[in-house]
Amino acid sequence: MIDIPTIPWCALAPELAVATWILLLLVATLCVPAHRQSVLSHLAVLGIVVAAGLLVWASQHPSASGGTAMLSLDRFGGYFKGLLLLATAVVIVMTRLPRQLLTHVGAFYLLLYTALLGALILVSVNNLLLLFLGLELLTFSLYIMAAYVKTDPRSVEAGMKYLILGSVSSGFLIYGIALLYGMAGTITFTGVRAAFANTQPTPVAGQVGLYLILAGLGFKVAAVPFQLWVPDVYEGAPTPVVAMLSVGSKMAGVVAMLRLLDGLVAPVQWVWTPVLAVISAATMLYGNLGAIPQTNIKRLLGYSSIGHAGYLLMGIATATPESAAAISYYLLAYLCSNLAVFLVVVIVGGATGSDSLDEYRGLSRRSPGLAAAMFIALLSLAGVPPLAGFVGKLLVLLSAVKGQRLWLVAIGAVNVAISLYYYLTVVKRMYLEAPNTSSSIRITPLAAATLAALVLGIVVVGVYQQPFLAYIRSTL
Amino acid sequence: MTEAVFFYTFSGLAILAALSVAWNRRPIYSVLSLLVFMFCLAALFIMLGAYFVAALQVLLYAGAVLVLFLFVIMLLNLEPEALARMRLFTLRGVGTAAASLLLAALVAILRRPGPAPITPATTIGSVESIGQLLFTTYLIPFELTSFLILAAIIGAVTLARQKSHD
Repeated sequence: MIDIPTIPWCALAPELAVATWILLLLVATLCVPAHRQSVLSHLAVLGIVVAAGLLVWASQHPSASGGTAMLSLDRFGGYFKGLLLLATAVVIVMTRLPRQLLTHVGAFYLLLYTALLGALILVSVNNLLLLFLGLELLTFSLYIMAAYVKTDPRSVEAGMKYLILGSVSSGFLIYGIALLYGMAGTITFTGVRAAFANTQPTPVAGQVGLYLILAGLGFKVAAVPFQLWVPDVYEGAPTPVVAMLSVGSKMAGVVAMLRLLDGLVAPVQWVWTPVLAVISAATMLYGNLGAIPQTNIKRLLGYSSIGHAGYLLMGIATATPESAAAISYYLLAYLCSNLAVFLVVVIVGGATGSDSLDEYRGLSRRSPGLAAAMFIALLSLAGVPPLAGFVGKLLVLLSAVKGQRLWLVAIGAVNVAISLYYYLTVVKRMYLEAPNTSSSIRITPLAAATLAALVLGIVVVGVYQQPFLAYIRSTL
Repeated sequence: MTEAVFFYTFSGLAILAALSVAWNRRPIYSVLSLLVFMFCLAALFIMLGAYFVAALQVLLYAGAVLVLFLFVIMLLNLEPEALARMRLFTLRGVGTAAASLLLAALVAILRRPGPAPITPATTIGSVESIGQLLFTTYLIPFELTSFLILAAIIGAVTLARQKSHD
């Protein structure tokens, strides 16, 4: 008699919906004629709506909570699944905007969905095998999406660089997992955790394995010294892909680190946290100092995303429930702000055909609404009160103060000032310099509505933190 | 006794083959050395009783993957001069340093006293037990792998399509 483990299918409903939609999109891509490609994007949006509905339903379903040896399907993961679905929906909106140079959108949506599936698995991961598979599914889709515009050599170069460095990082990760398996004889988080708790002194294999896993995940969240791919990939890849990379991929990597820290590393936290603190400081400094001389908005945002990874790592290094709540809040703020900025970059890039910072000269006179949205989003990224980004940074810094790491807090505070400088140079171009042309930039109603919703999100999340924080704390 | 003889023969051969992969100047020789390495690994799997894994090792790695490598090398058809230009000195230094670091870690791990934590299993490695595990305990990872392969196929088709079809 074969012993069949019970799989909580109800709780897996969002993942199952996404998986079903991947197959639906595959069939639809083959059936829909070339001149009716817009059907595919409607189908893709519908899939997100269905998955979001099922996510809400699953969170209310009594039998849905709990988890297995593979996945921990709790409300903490549910929160991030909601954010990931939101991010994917915005990315789909971006692909609908003019001049995105994306042909064969069906395959693009399919890859977006496989990336989403990988990310959904990662935020509820409870097993080293699924950690590897989820990460591979996510990054594999992103490699291809980064190189999607074959007519643009920069896009192909971006895909190539990302593929090579990403494969190396996967190698680190799988070697680390192998060492942990060799130490504990199991790949479940609880099993490895128990092995760490019961063995004194901590085996070298376990320590080396944990460092290798940290290196593998460091690539995905773009932490120093594994950040070299970021500026080139951000510059070359199609902007909707960069948005997915900077929000979805980073969020999944950070949450996977949190899961590992909480579920596996907890008995030997001292292996990770000091290293993470140093990496966090280096990442913040590298990202924010590197952003200053940039002349291309996407490169600038690449460095800025490295800087944000530093703040997130500071939260992980602190390793308290409070810092986990701070990271959850930070990711929500980062999602709204960064997606709003990228939406403006897509719109401006689509109108002018370039991502140079010079295109933003006098944007306030050409399109006041667009400039205002960019202004608010950039200030939120910099961490100016009362916007969402400010509260996120404040919470992370406060949790680090309580965690007795004042030197790291000092570096974090200095970096807020540095980042304000380069975000404001973009604002200066938009508001103080004369425009190259006086023609206004056309915005489709869909893009305008999405942008307005994101900006509203930045303000609301920043001003009324309490309901969001209360919800986040209830998921921990 | 016989087991030890076989073990050291295949392990030694595997190490020699791996060194030859790294040191050969001609890519074709490197690939062929890799083939020898894969076969040695398969032999070691057989000695552990993992017959199915050994068969997969030969079929997939020695068969499919290495043939792919050979195709790429033959299609690129790099001249020795072009290869010589790619031998970056710093890269070699960094690679050596990283490899020695990992070797040191491995030595430290293996010198640890006490028995290995994983007891040699008698049932793993047979087709039946692997099939059972795949479709019960590891059902979710198994299904996820199929999506990974789907993404890879779509990606290959997307990247390989002709410009005229755009």
